[in-house]
Amino acid sequence: MQIVGIDTGGTFTDTVILTGDGRIGVGKALTTHGRLMEGVIASLAVASRSLGKSLREILEVTDILSHGTTVGLNALLTNAGAKVGLLVTSGFEATLPMARSNKVHGLPDEDSINALKWRKPDLLVPRRRIIGVRERIDVDGNIIVPLDEEQARQSIRQLVARGAEAIGIALMWSPVNGSHERRLAELVAEEAPGLHVTLSSELAPRIGEYERTATVAMNAYVAPLVGDYLTSLDEALRDEGFSGLFLIVTMGGGARRASSLHDAPIHLLQSGPVGGIMAARQIGARLGHADVLATDVGGTSFDVGLVVGGALPTASRPRIDRHSLAVPVIDLASIGTGGGSIAYADPELGVLRVGPQSAGSMPGPACYGRGGTQPTVTDAAVVLGHLDHLGGALILDRDAARSALAPLAGKLGLEIEEAAEGILRVANAQMADLVRRASVQRGHDPRNFVLYAYGGAAPQHVGRYAAEIGVKAIVIPRLAPEFSAWGAASSDMRTSYEIELPARPLQDFRDGEIDAFGRLEQRARGEFEGLAEASLAGAVEIRRKIGLKFSRQLHRIDIEVPSSRLGRAEIAAAEAAFRSRYEQIVGRGSAHAKSTIELAAVVVEARMPIVMPDSAPTGMRGALRPSRQRRAWFGGREQETPVFLWAELGVGVVISGPAFIESDQTTAVIYPGQTVTTDVDGNLTMTVPAVHKRSPSPSIGEFA
Amino acid sequence: MTIGPIELEIIRHRLEAINADAGETLVRVSGSQIASEASDFNTAIMTADGTVISCSKFILVQSTSLNLIVRDILDRYGENPGIGRGDQFLTNDPYLGTLHQPDVTLVAPIFHGDRLIAWAGSTVHEPDVGGPVSGGFNYAARSIFDEAIPIPPVKIVEAGSVRRDIERDYLARTRTPELNALDLLGQIAANRASERQVLELCAAYGTDGLVHAMDRLLASTEAAFRRRLIELPDGIWRENSFIQHEQRSGADYLPNQVYAVRLAMAKAGDKLSFDFTASDDQAPGAVNSTYPTLANFTMAAVLVHICQGLPWMPGAIWRTIDIHTRKASIVDAEWPAGVAMSTGTSAQAIRNCVSGCLARLLDGSAAHAHMAMASSQSSGAGGMSISGHRRDGTPFTTLFLDELSGGGGATVRADGSDTSGTATSPGATPSNLETNEAYYPVLYLTRRELADSGGPGMRRGGVGAMHAYRPHQTDRSIALLSMAQGLQHPATMGAAGGEPGLPSGFAIMSCDVPVAVSSGWAELADATDFRLPDAATRLYPDQILVTSSQGGGGFGDPLERDPAAVAMDVLDGLVSVGNALRDFGVVLRLDGDQVEIDRDASEAARKARLKVRLGGRDPRTIEGPVSGRRLSSHFRAVAVSGGEQVVCAVCGHGICDAGEDIYASLAVHEAVAGERSAITDRYPGSERFRIRHFYCPGCARQVDVQVALSGDPVLEAIELPFPRNPTETRP
Repeated sequence: MQIVGIDTGGTFTDTVILTGDGRIGVGKALTTHGRLMEGVIASLAVASRSLGKSLREILEVTDILSHGTTVGLNALLTNAGAKVGLLVTSGFEATLPMARSNKVHGLPDEDSINALKWRKPDLLVPRRRIIGVRERIDVDGNIIVPLDEEQARQSIRQLVARGAEAIGIALMWSPVNGSHERRLAELVAEEAPGLHVTLSSELAPRIGEYERTATVAMNAYVAPLVGDYLTSLDEALRDEGFSGLFLIVTMGGGARRASSLHDAPIHLLQSGPVGGIMAARQIGARLGHADVLATDVGGTSFDVGLVVGGALPTASRPRIDRHSLAVPVIDLASIGTGGGSIAYADPELGVLRVGPQSAGSMPGPACYGRGGTQPTVTDAAVVLGHLDHLGGALILDRDAARSALAPLAGKLGLEIEEAAEGILRVANAQMADLVRRASVQRGHDPRNFVLYAYGGAAPQHVGRYAAEIGVKAIVIPRLAPEFSAWGAASSDMRTSYEIELPARPLQDFRDGEIDAFGRLEQRARGEFEGLAEASLAGAVEIRRKIGLKFSRQLHRIDIEVPSSRLGRAEIAAAEAAFRSRYEQIVGRGSAHAKSTIELAAVVVEARMPIVMPDSAPTGMRGALRPSRQRRAWFGGREQETPVFLWAELGVGVVISGPAFIESDQTTAVIYPGQTVTTDVDGNLTMTVPAVHKRSPSPSIGEFA
Repeated sequence: MTIGPIELEIIRHRLEAINADAGETLVRVSGSQIASEASDFNTAIMTADGTVISCSKFILVQSTSLNLIVRDILDRYGENPGIGRGDQFLTNDPYLGTLHQPDVTLVAPIFHGDRLIAWAGSTVHEPDVGGPVSGGFNYAARSIFDEAIPIPPVKIVEAGSVRRDIERDYLARTRTPELNALDLLGQIAANRASERQVLELCAAYGTDGLVHAMDRLLASTEAAFRRRLIELPDGIWRENSFIQHEQRSGADYLPNQVYAVRLAMAKAGDKLSFDFTASDDQAPGAVNSTYPTLANFTMAAVLVHICQGLPWMPGAIWRTIDIHTRKASIVDAEWPAGVAMSTGTSAQAIRNCVSGCLARLLDGSAAHAHMAMASSQSSGAGGMSISGHRRDGTPFTTLFLDELSGGGGATVRADGSDTSGTATSPGATPSNLETNEAYYPVLYLTRRELADSGGPGMRRGGVGAMHAYRPHQTDRSIALLSMAQGLQHPATMGAAGGEPGLPSGFAIMSCDVPVAVSSGWAELADATDFRLPDAATRLYPDQILVTSSQGGGGFGDPLERDPAAVAMDVLDGLVSVGNALRDFGVVLRLDGDQVEIDRDASEAARKARLKVRLGGRDPRTIEGPVSGRRLSSHFRAVAVSGGEQVVCAVCGHGICDAGEDIYASLAVHEAVAGERSAITDRYPGSERFRIRHFYCPGCARQVDVQVALSGDPVLEAIELPFPRNPTETRP
């Protein structure tokens, strides 16, 4: 079986081809904003050539093509989405514009303390295209006001007259009783056939009308654009001979058939970074690392995700571009610190600050020689000699970098190299702070984790940001620069359907059938239709879960149950599992409360494992001999530093810093005192000197 | 280790991260609705003497006076019971450092070895902390003895373990022990998380290095703030704000009282002082602020309104600020005055006064005028403690925070943010209505933006919101303790001649009133009696409660608003066609989905309005920008023989000699308190208030709007030192 993974990132579109006989082809092309498909095809062609094949030759024998894309996110960030018309319950038209009064949540830290920068999330649907329909359902699903169909039809016609290109429907309490939403959808089909329709009870049946409505609005907003993209890409691939399964990476983890995302394109909004985390889980499984801190350094951002016990935790209050979402999203922390971040002297405090302003990729850092003049993180690395080329083709201009840094160094009274060192320290401290926050805030101790570093710039920075955190080990995967594409290729097919209900004591469900399971399972299985026959993969695994929480509590924890009917024993087992998970998350001793355990959600997960081809031995060869020497600054002095070519390292070699390990796409910086070893797959494992002794981490059990 | 500009930045960033972690830890462990859904909590890191160096931004006012609590502990407990490693102290004493009794604070000393190097602290608003009334707000309190009795700092965690006796004592008082216990656990865990991470910083930079860095950060933030003050003009600015209180029962029955908070803020060089001594005497109960509350709200308004671009480091700002008060006044209550309702009442008046004075100060500086912001909503009617019984007989008590939906203040560059809540609690969020309905027996009929509620101005204040609900699936009535203020008069003041936002609304109606489809109060005004909420207010199953939060204040003369912006507001339903004319002098027609501005009619309407302002006299033609020293958006000082004269900034009209009271020479129009509202004049007591509009006697431009008690002398809101040399620095 041959699998292709393609990831469209902010700067590059990466492709990884895993051939049936275990070879790996890699390709990279510039992302073509506005015409993303061109970059995808170009990247595929490059990867095909790396295996000595044409695009058609590769596609004709490809069984699965799995794609992570920013098409939805771009539509959102460039305000290029559809004109959405929103139907809501009459009296609650302001749910979306009010946005629960949020003027600061999701803003960058420095804006959150500046009242002049406070603002609501961008309003995706103008008030004129939000219309209330007369109907009302209560918490128990009782119909308090029947749906006024005539007024509803008028409202639909009004939305169309006001230019609506897609319709969202989000009524009060629709997760409990979706009949009014479904009837409205029928009316839309009659009054405005052909318009894309999103139902909150199907897309995001979670309790909490604001987040549900925002999710519907965003789904409708990106739907036409994403739909067109998926259709055209599918056609283009088939024109080139592809006849396999076309999958898209979702932000909830796993990949789904592209055809199933036309209705629910919201799931692919943040698929790129999720590809990376899935890759980290995959490699982690191979290397025996169940708990991984997955870190990704790009040009404009630094992302941290977690793998905990082999699973990918979802965010409790997910937001994208400040919009709240009511669908499962893999938990990801992000800050605007990357290679392009601009350094400056804070005029008020006299300290050296880095970011969040970024030089982006145009003009980019000064060292790119494209007209950038402001000092960036990448310029600092170039000044210190840690980096002299990028992506094979781009030779970096050290003099331009020095010129960019000189004024800043002057202001701070530092030598240029000291300022460069300072920029890297500040930038990496920010990254380290985010790694700590991503773990500590979620109740984890980073010392129990292995840190993975990927993305084009992570191998260059990880020796600093990971060193002081004190993780168990640091891994730089062989495919670090194309990691998200590899993650797409290595992903299982996965889908999940859920429904939230007003919380009721779990005991009330004893010996009764929870009928939501049946409906959700049917929908989940529907996504895999026809695949078993095509012998693409194994059988579909179904898991049933119930979302439990303590009364009046926030944390919902999903616990697997054997069937849709719960007897005394099953309920006891679920309660015990819940208490134990709760204590893992919140702290030992915290679940002692005699609070009632309530059932708040029903979840069905379906998964079809995809067996990846075994990779052939890396073919890494040769002895431990530097390919050249480069003068670079470490610890305040410039010294000749060996440069090794990654592809030429043998298995099990040990390299001590200072040293550089280069591939076409990235440079790993090994600092003095650090060593790396290579494994059979070509991954680098870095060890760093023990940091300062820590105070022991207390658990809640000590004082509860 | 030497601490240079690089280490300092790394430590600064890390302290912020540690404090953010503490907040997340608190939410994660507690999981309670008030902490996690409404974000009604805050965390802080302090130096060894309690100076707050990092605070989170949810409810700013909860953390800026933690230093007072730490100071008290340091002063009194050093010997007995002692302050040691692993200890944590709990208090909810408003006379020492919290805002009111429901706010429970936990502070923890951080020791490196035997050396005290820092404190961690957090505050969470609890649903109940005991006392005679469920939820803690007792209208009828004659003193604090009719409220929850405050707990002075007690050592609830000793050397790392919870003192079970103290924990039981704390939880025994409350009607919601399970929720309070979880929050307590969350606060303990948050302090421990901060302690651990601060100690890691010690390990990395040395104890001396960290202490030195914290001192440097405070010193450089203080220096930066002093530089900002020096850049601003010197002078005295004044603002008054009013609250009401109705004490319905008990021996000291006091119907419908007004209490005034009166502030004179002086800025000279790099000093800022707040003089509240002219404020009214304290009330017997409930609505008074203690000194910590006064300090918290003052500091929070200073951080929000003039610290843009500076770190929010309350400890550094404290050093530049003086607060003068009169003991036993409404803003500095004397034990045993009741204070449990301070945050929704006198504290909001304090904030309004401070933000109003700061807006005037900033508006006097060409370089900083863009930072001047009109007032945001103060406490609206939808903020209330509600209690009752569900159909199955189980009792409930909770806070509904629908009021956190009022409008934000406008600035010279931007309209106020619609339904964005109060400025000093930037992170607070009202719950989803489904969440309220899931847990309590109510059914909402509407949550909507309230048209015409934003204060008119060249930039409009943000609109507030209207909520309505009725009891649902219960046969019994629900007790409502609303914190409603600003029912009898506007409470959110505009800036630079902008109008105040619409007052709050609170009414109980019969359930056959079509509230959900009404467009606002105008259609509901005749449906019921308008009564002030009091201790006996109940909502019966056949009734609807309707409340509205205030709009934000506008900025600048509303007749100068771009008609196209008014048209957009009309299309969005934020301004009605009728009030486009009434409030902005813009004539337009709404035809289906199109708005058509009648430019000629609008111009005529605006001209006519200007003429009315001058009592029928034609306004002077505007000659273009007037040069001279900036005093505000509207006034310039120009040199004349023998001194300086104050002139209008647009028409050049000579208003008065420098040094005289500008307000004595302006044209004034006094209107009733409900001039823009359908219901305000219906509340008993509103007749005591007036809205005063001040115009340039030359061009009739509106230069200020004030709310006053009828018969009070005109407030000299701007008093500038004359003569003097210009001190303003331009960038």
